[in-house]
Amino acid sequence: MPLARKNELVIQELQDEILVFDMKTNKAHCLNQTASTVWKHCDGKNTVSEINRLMEIHSGSKIPENLIWLAIDQLGERELLDNRIEEKFAGQNRREVLKKIGLATVVALPLVASITAPTAALAVACSGLVTSCVGCNPGVSCDENGGGGPIGMCSGGNCVGD
Amino acid sequence: MEATNAFEVLKFEAFGVNIEIIANDPNLINKIREVLPKVIPDNLFFRTNSIAEHFFKLHRIDQTDQISISRNDEETFIYRDETRLIEYLSSQIRITVAEFAKDRVFLHAGAVSWNGSGIIIPGKSFSGKTTLVSELIRKGAEYYSDEYAVLDKDGLLYPYPKMLSMRGIINDFDQLDTEPARFGATIGTEPIPVKLILLTSFEKNAVWQPEILKPGEAIMEILRDTIPIRYNPEFVLNVLKNIVKNAIITSSKRGEAVLVIPQIINFLESFREIK
Repeated sequence: MPLARKNELVIQELQDEILVFDMKTNKAHCLNQTASTVWKHCDGKNTVSEINRLMEIHSGSKIPENLIWLAIDQLGERELLDNRIEEKFAGQNRREVLKKIGLATVVALPLVASITAPTAALAVACSGLVTSCVGCNPGVSCDENGGGGPIGMCSGGNCVGD
Repeated sequence: MEATNAFEVLKFEAFGVNIEIIANDPNLINKIREVLPKVIPDNLFFRTNSIAEHFFKLHRIDQTDQISISRNDEETFIYRDETRLIEYLSSQIRITVAEFAKDRVFLHAGAVSWNGSGIIIPGKSFSGKTTLVSELIRKGAEYYSDEYAVLDKDGLLYPYPKMLSMRGIINDFDQLDTEPARFGATIGTEPIPVKLILLTSFEKNAVWQPEILKPGEAIMEILRDTIPIRYNPEFVLNVLKNIVKNAIITSSKRGEAVLVIPQIINFLESFREIK
């Protein structure tokens, strides 16, 4: 029975989404309404079938159980569950998963979008238009990158060693 | 260029962050003291008795023209050009303040006020923030910043009026600090509500077709340019939540700034009319 993780998470509820920041992995996740609702029902007591039933009561319509499984899979993959639940759709592509769920459902497919939060230095780093803006370009002696240093070879935008 | 055995100390506080710089060259310390008001254009206080949390050590190496720099006794770099060293130190000081500022969230973003409505343009370096900001100023916007949007707990935007860092004057990469007044700018003085956040990047001949993002989706995009997210995630998410409650967040590629800015202004004005 899935149990939502609470430790080391910063949780911010929005109108119909939930934002979660994982302090252990420095990842931010955005759960859409369906994923949020499933996550809220993951109390370690409800089975997937019971979560499905609760969601059906909430939405007033039939929901395929595979849709709940899709949410559980994503929540587990992002380490947002405290216990390990075996993935139902592991190794299957989106088309195969959608075929199993079926498209005739009134609720949106669950979606958990994730990013790795940037370090402070990365947050001010360059766009993709140039290879580096820290003062040097990778693979080139830093002296060639505008004279005056820093001294060393450029690696990942920083001058390393001498 | 005098290295001495004694180390000179410079202490200052900015946005509640206490920093100490030591150097074995008094001239270097004097030069840094002179540039600091340009590096940190607001909330800068020189202190003599504060307890620093962040340290920079500069060491002019005897008999050479080289200077080593280390931060918190880690990652030492050696420079042979004093100007480059001061540029590097300045960027490190800015990032340190932006990451650890008390009661403020720093976004890497350009920021202006259009008739009292804050417009924020988050983005990495070289993404065209300064170009858009300078074009908005030409159309009459008040200048807040071309580097950091500074936000308080309620999501209000504060001025951080450093000089505009213009590229394309010296060459395509090096920046030349330019007075905002050169673009006819007036500088904002008051905290203002944020009404529009533009997520955009330049693409030749692209047409600006703004897609309005949902709050969660918008915050995820803004987080990419949010400096203290790892240090203070709870405060950051609260502030961003307060912003997206009242602002429109749009995403779109854009073409030349001179073409897109009138569209952006019309877009903001039509939104204000609806509100």
